[in-house]
Amino acid sequence: MKALEVLSSLTFRYIAKYVTVLSATVFVLLAGLYAYISYSFFSDLSDTILEELETLQVVFSGQGIDGVGQYVEDQLAAPSSGRFYYLVTDAEGEVVAGNLGALPRYEQFTGGWLGFQLALLEWGETVDVDFLARPAALGDGFDAVVARNYADITEQATLVFRTLFRAMLATVVLGMIGGFVSAASTLDRVERLNQELSGIIRGGPGKRIDVARQKGYVRQLAEIMNKLLGQTETLMQGVKTVSDNIAHDLRTPLTRMRNQLVQLRGRVPDAEADALEGIIAECDDVLATFNALLRISSLESGGQFSGGGAVELQPLLEDVVELYEPLASERGIDLTFCAEALPSISGDRDLLFQLFSNLVDNALKYTPADGRADINLAVGEPGFLQVSLSDSGPGIPAEERANVLRRFYRLEQSRGAQPGHGLGLSLVQAIVHYHRGHLALLDNEPGLTVQVSLPLA
Amino acid sequence: MHILLIEDDAAVGQFIVDELDTAGHNCTWLRDGDSGLATARSTECDVLVVDRMLPGTDGLTLIATLRNAGIETPVLVLSALGEVGDRVEGLQLGADDYLTKPFAMDELLARLEVLHRRAGSAQTSAQTTLQVGDLELNLLTREVSRAGTPIAIQPREYKLLEYLMRHPGQVVTRAMLLEHVWGYHFDPQTNVIDVHISRLRQKIDRDFDLALLTTVRGAGYRLGEEQAEAPQ
Repeated sequence: MKALEVLSSLTFRYIAKYVTVLSATVFVLLAGLYAYISYSFFSDLSDTILEELETLQVVFSGQGIDGVGQYVEDQLAAPSSGRFYYLVTDAEGEVVAGNLGALPRYEQFTGGWLGFQLALLEWGETVDVDFLARPAALGDGFDAVVARNYADITEQATLVFRTLFRAMLATVVLGMIGGFVSAASTLDRVERLNQELSGIIRGGPGKRIDVARQKGYVRQLAEIMNKLLGQTETLMQGVKTVSDNIAHDLRTPLTRMRNQLVQLRGRVPDAEADALEGIIAECDDVLATFNALLRISSLESGGQFSGGGAVELQPLLEDVVELYEPLASERGIDLTFCAEALPSISGDRDLLFQLFSNLVDNALKYTPADGRADINLAVGEPGFLQVSLSDSGPGIPAEERANVLRRFYRLEQSRGAQPGHGLGLSLVQAIVHYHRGHLALLDNEPGLTVQVSLPLA
Repeated sequence: MHILLIEDDAAVGQFIVDELDTAGHNCTWLRDGDSGLATARSTECDVLVVDRMLPGTDGLTLIATLRNAGIETPVLVLSALGEVGDRVEGLQLGADDYLTKPFAMDELLARLEVLHRRAGSAQTSAQTTLQVGDLELNLLTREVSRAGTPIAIQPREYKLLEYLMRHPGQVVTRAMLLEHVWGYHFDPQTNVIDVHISRLRQKIDRDFDLALLTTVRGAGYRLGEEQAEAPQ
């Protein structure tokens, strides 16, 4: 199975769509999550700044500006610190305490918040770091600004976001792989079903899908198809039965009519005698058609040859050639027979004679004068003898070869041009199948080659 | 000739009786196997026509019983659409001929005539020549001559002519020729037999004023003058 077939399969497309929708959903979720995380981090950040300012105010009101200076120094000296930056100024704007030399150029946010960037020395190089800051009055003209950089916070948020993004990516990729695998397995099941169905089309209406080989919903489908096949077979059987019954029931009155017509011979005026013979001949023709039809049906429905009659094909074919030789030479056709010495087969000699006489009859009918018809008897595939009859007639177009084996089917060009009922080859096929053999129509370039393979006894 | 018909189908039976009557034959009709067997054993008749499927004793058993009792009256078996192999089975059990229903009356009549005559000529089977009009066939040397003129003839033509000459004046159908001269029971799609007949006719009739081999329309062929009922 090709990958392209899998990709274009309905199942894969369905799963791809599902994965896409899933990804979009996950993406929206991620975006929301990111926003929430960022928000909560920032609210933590602003809370700590406010707390710190409050502490400064408390220290100022208790210990005055010196206390604040001491506190800031202690904070900056503490090893765990480094989170906060301080700037304490007096009424003149002079820096009293803190590690921010001056307030850098800042952006004013709503709610009294400030944002700025500060170049910090980190790992030996200066990096612009984002800060959030808030000024507050301490009293007596003193002002304080507490700032905190939030690079660590954005880093954390980014980390979370990346993790989620990778999870989403994994979902998409795994989903697609899963889709591919499940589509491939579905396709595989459908493919098996296809193969079974093609086999049934080749093998005839009696065959059924092997339900045991199918699983799940394909099994249900197979069961339904089997039911459908059963109904089709019943219908086909019905049509056949009806046509057989018609042929059977009409034979008797038709024969009676023919016999009554025969009695009129000699009793009708001479001028009408030819017309009478014409009608009798027509009756014979219809009766012959009915007989052939019933013969085919009886062969098809009667199982296969089981008797042990040994038939030597070589003398039988010689008899066929001998019977048809005068007809062939009358039509200017060279009829030849070539055979190896071969073992006999098990079969019904009358039916086999019928088979080959039909084939020779056809060859002589369709091959133009100065043509040839060659019969060859040889060993075929293992266990089979093969009789091939090749003529130099117009042949049968490849697309018509299956059709000409159907009952009453005749090629357009032979309709009307040649007498016949379109049952000759159907009977041939029925006899071949009855003997467990098979039949092939091939191109003789030009002409037709009919290959009959019959199993050795 | 006197024909004993054992047939349970009323329509077919009545039809055969009427037709045989029209053809100038005498027919006794029985409708089941048991009374048929009893009548066949007790009455003289020329030919038996027996349906294969009969109430009571079936057709083939009836024939076997008759043969076992030493009654050699020729029997023609009638059968509904023959399954493959039926015919062979019937002939093996002692039937002399086999005809599948429905059949053309010509075919039945021709076959009955032949059976009847064959039985009549059984005593003279030691003959070495066959003669029809001025046509002669030597069974030992396989030579054919007409009015003293030798006629070169091929093996199959010889067999064909021999069969025709053994049934002089009788209608011989195409199916009968295929069965007896060629030895196959089948339906040719074309009248392939006609070509053989016309070849034979070329040889035996071309140089002579009186045509011996004639075609009987819709039925078959006849060699020689039409004969009246054979002497009993």
